[in-house]
Amino acid sequence: MKPLPLAMRIGILGLTCAIIVLIALMTSGANPAEVMTALLTDTFRSPTAFADTLKRFCPYMILGVAVFWALRAGLFNIGVEGQFLMGGMAGTVVALQIGGLGGVILGALAGTLVGALWALPAAWIRAYRGGHEVISTIMLNMIAFQLSNHLVSGPIMDPEAGFPTTKTLPPESMLSGIQIGDVNVNWALGLGIGIVVAFGWWLRRTVAGYELSVTGANSTAGAFAGIDVRRTTFSALMASGAVAGLGGGLQAVAFEGRFFMGFSTGYGFDALGVAILAGSNPLGIIPSAFAYGLLQQGALAVQTLHVPPGIATLILSLLVILFSAFRYAKVRHSNG
Amino acid sequence: MGDLSFVTNWGMFTAILGLAALGGMFSERSGIVNIALEGKMLMAACITALVGGVSGSPILGLSAGLASAVLLSLSHWALTQFYQVDHIVSGMGINLFAYGATNFIALTFIKPEVPNQFLPIPFYFGCLALSIGASWFMFSRMRAGLRLLAVGENPDKARTTGIEPLQVRLWALVLAGILCGLSGSLIVTNSGSFGDNLTAGRGFIALAALILGGWRPLSVALACLAFAAFEAAQIQFQGAPVLGYQLPAAFWKSLPFLITLIAMAGLVGRTKAPSGLGKI
Amino acid sequence: MSIVALEGITQRFGDFVALDNVSLHVQKGDLHAVVGENGAGKTTLMRILYGALSPSSGTVSVRGQQRNYRSSRDAIADRIGMVSQHYAIIPELTCLQNLMLGAEEGAVMNLAACRTRADDLASRMGFSFDWSAKAETLGPAGAQKLEILKLLWRNAEIMILDEPTAMLSPRDADALFESLKKLAQDGATVILVTHRLPEVMDYCQNVTVLRGGKLITHQAVTEVTKPELAELIVGHALTEFPSREVTPTEAVLSVQNFSVIGDRGDEAVKGASFQIGKGELVGLAGVDGNGQRELFHALLGTRGFHGLANLNGEDLAQNSTRDRIEAGVRIIAEDRHDEAIVEDWSLADNAVLGFQRLPSFRAGPGINEAYKAERVQEYITRFNTKCTSAAQPIGSLSGGNQQRFVAARALGESPSLVLAFQPARGLDIDATRAVYQGLREVCERGAGALIVSFDLDELLEFCDRILVINGGLISSPAAKKRAEIGQLMVGAK
Repeated sequence: MKPLPLAMRIGILGLTCAIIVLIALMTSGANPAEVMTALLTDTFRSPTAFADTLKRFCPYMILGVAVFWALRAGLFNIGVEGQFLMGGMAGTVVALQIGGLGGVILGALAGTLVGALWALPAAWIRAYRGGHEVISTIMLNMIAFQLSNHLVSGPIMDPEAGFPTTKTLPPESMLSGIQIGDVNVNWALGLGIGIVVAFGWWLRRTVAGYELSVTGANSTAGAFAGIDVRRTTFSALMASGAVAGLGGGLQAVAFEGRFFMGFSTGYGFDALGVAILAGSNPLGIIPSAFAYGLLQQGALAVQTLHVPPGIATLILSLLVILFSAFRYAKVRHSNG
Repeated sequence: MGDLSFVTNWGMFTAILGLAALGGMFSERSGIVNIALEGKMLMAACITALVGGVSGSPILGLSAGLASAVLLSLSHWALTQFYQVDHIVSGMGINLFAYGATNFIALTFIKPEVPNQFLPIPFYFGCLALSIGASWFMFSRMRAGLRLLAVGENPDKARTTGIEPLQVRLWALVLAGILCGLSGSLIVTNSGSFGDNLTAGRGFIALAALILGGWRPLSVALACLAFAAFEAAQIQFQGAPVLGYQLPAAFWKSLPFLITLIAMAGLVGRTKAPSGLGKI
Repeated sequence: MSIVALEGITQRFGDFVALDNVSLHVQKGDLHAVVGENGAGKTTLMRILYGALSPSSGTVSVRGQQRNYRSSRDAIADRIGMVSQHYAIIPELTCLQNLMLGAEEGAVMNLAACRTRADDLASRMGFSFDWSAKAETLGPAGAQKLEILKLLWRNAEIMILDEPTAMLSPRDADALFESLKKLAQDGATVILVTHRLPEVMDYCQNVTVLRGGKLITHQAVTEVTKPELAELIVGHALTEFPSREVTPTEAVLSVQNFSVIGDRGDEAVKGASFQIGKGELVGLAGVDGNGQRELFHALLGTRGFHGLANLNGEDLAQNSTRDRIEAGVRIIAEDRHDEAIVEDWSLADNAVLGFQRLPSFRAGPGINEAYKAERVQEYITRFNTKCTSAAQPIGSLSGGNQQRFVAARALGESPSLVLAFQPARGLDIDATRAVYQGLREVCERGAGALIVSFDLDELLEFCDRILVINGGLISSPAAKKRAEIGQLMVGAK
């Protein structure tokens, strides 16, 4: 079988994806153009919508870094979701206990620590026992769901609330922001962008970043080049977990102010797509995270047109597939 | 479901997990990492309910459900083999797609519900028993099984003996689709109607059983039997004390994952994955 | 009439012409040699006959009829079999499964009947196999025998063997040729791809010489002498590689009672004691799988060891791989693709690999880009790596060019000990000599080198001294004598 030209192969895949989306839009009974407009522009409809988008943009960005970090070491940290949840829960509990600015800082730190802890079994199993991180992090995710649901519906639940949630942080115990026009831009966003930029610099401009990339690209060659592959692998997964936990902690102290059942709307899973769509440059995480936040915001808007929100997930999944097919094809192509 | 005895639940969960895990086994032994069991089951559950409910015909519902899972499996094949997309990325993409698409379908059309006289549960037991026996026979006695193992261990070397890995993997994934489809349709048959995320991570439990069972049919089935027992126990005890302890439902639900983690850490017998797993 | 006739075969890969109007005629019952340097197009030609490649132009005729194979499967059905240089044995399957794979008799296998037939074939060749054992338990000679039985299992009449003795000891190689002679007497036709001329002279009836993708000559072996053949292969007269006398005064590396545990938990290197002196090129002769790999890994530090190892007075037991690289240990790795390069990365990024922590390559927290740019040019020009620029991904170069680059890198940054595993792999004779010349030069500046090759003649020609490894035991022959070393290699002495 002679392979078809790259353009044609990608074209066929793209067309198939477009047809799937079109069929979905047609069957929903709504006007496809209207639905697409709502999906793509709802973010800019009102300051509230924009603020809501930012609230998603921030964790997407930070979790995007978490996934990207591991990915560069050749690891799929599917466990970002669980690390985010555990970090968010820990951050909330600590911030509630301490309060004030100290609570904010210690809450974020507690999230980081717990996120790293939640990655520890996977990191250890991968680096020192040879078990695949995808499987172990899936297991850890499932345990994190069960554990956080259990704790928030009992031990740390606010008894006065009618549903599983903790108490809410008072405004002075939360991270604030600056008002730009009608929109409040939380400091957490600045921190998120800072993390992306710092990570990008570290990855591309330091020897440690080079060694991480070698480990991910060819770990055997890495070992022959004097890199401690096990330690690099271990620390990459730990760092990834820590960043994901920080994302959870920040989400709690900057945006949500509490931990509740459904704290994550699948941020961790979406972040895998964010990192893949970012391409090979870490700075690509920023636009990719924004696109994710925008589409998820649009998913809420299409419901007013009686289109189920699943349409956004469907489109995003096709985007990720299409993009990765294109990217892998491109890499192979350059190798002749 | 509360009236059903522990044993009935146990058997049903075993069938759900076993069918999916065996599907995963065919896929992974041919070298394709399959974290998309969940998505395939979810899709099959949704389509089975939709078509079964609309047509009123269990056979039609089941066939449509199986066809949808096989279709997802075929896309999985095309993505990993033809487009060379990473196996994890494509599996994740399929899971996401299935989640989005089933949410969309379930809310767009009338609420998918299976008709009352749907396929009897024993039918699924038959399928499970047959699959275990057939896969054992296939791997030890049949040409197809030998070729599947060879492709999973080393596709390049298999190719030089005149085997076409692409073709072998195509059939492996079709089998995986059928088995995941059966599992998904059993889930919806049991629950009566389809809702968001109906499979609730059972595809991942099946994956865990597959790894714990070392990719071998009988051991995988045993692992499913054990994991199903935890789920049945959780329903049975419903927070009632066991040996004097109040064990929360979350504990029982986490147990399969904890055990798999411990096994992966090498504290319980370690197993070896097929060498060619995930290699394009 | 020829049983195999390839006419006017041309094969292009993009702009590259691998074969240019080549023809090949093989007589039934012959042992026919196809010889040429690495990159001459021998394997490409064989893959065309085996249906694994379809030629850009030209015709393939078998038994007088023109054939148009779409895949190897068609060729196999036409009773053509090929044993490639890297065996197609899958280690995780049993010997019997490997034997049958791809040529099973029916959808459901009658294992008892298969075993009987397997035993028949084996006893015909004078082999014996434990059919239910995993193929990973076979050594190189056993795997080669199994490959031959696979050809018989498939009733192959035309057998292509690509460098079949590359991994065998001289004694196993002789046994292999006795088997092949027996097959030819029974009516099989054997096409032998090789670069070892003694095999051609001793066992083959006809020889075809390829050079640079072109047919040079086609002759009866009786009409040509070995030096003539060598000259035809290389294209110019070969002068002898100048031999030299080295009497080292100090040791670079000295190991005592050095043991390494292998992957299966066995002792892969057993209490070795030897020294490598300053300025010395020491060859390590032996059959593949006798502990060479484990010895190298232990010396580099990617595997642990017991006993003493001293590099210029420094105890290696305390040193990580990184420390050893800083102390001047360099490796030309066995498996270039897996161990030496990152294929998707540029030559420049690959130039840093291994040196990323050396002070000369550092600038602040990162890499000294100016120094890196200067060094990559040096590595490229040293052995004439053909590339468009230092930004080209190394994976897009041919294997031989990758090897040149990797060898040049290992000789850079003032090495003290060069560990070279088959440094000439994929190189033509001129490049091989250049690499050995380069090894000599770094040795003259005070380094030592340990070289593993499965080609004893290569070591005899280029090394100052030879050690022999067999079953993990290292011995030191009294002199560089082929016969004595050959016996030590199989433990016959």
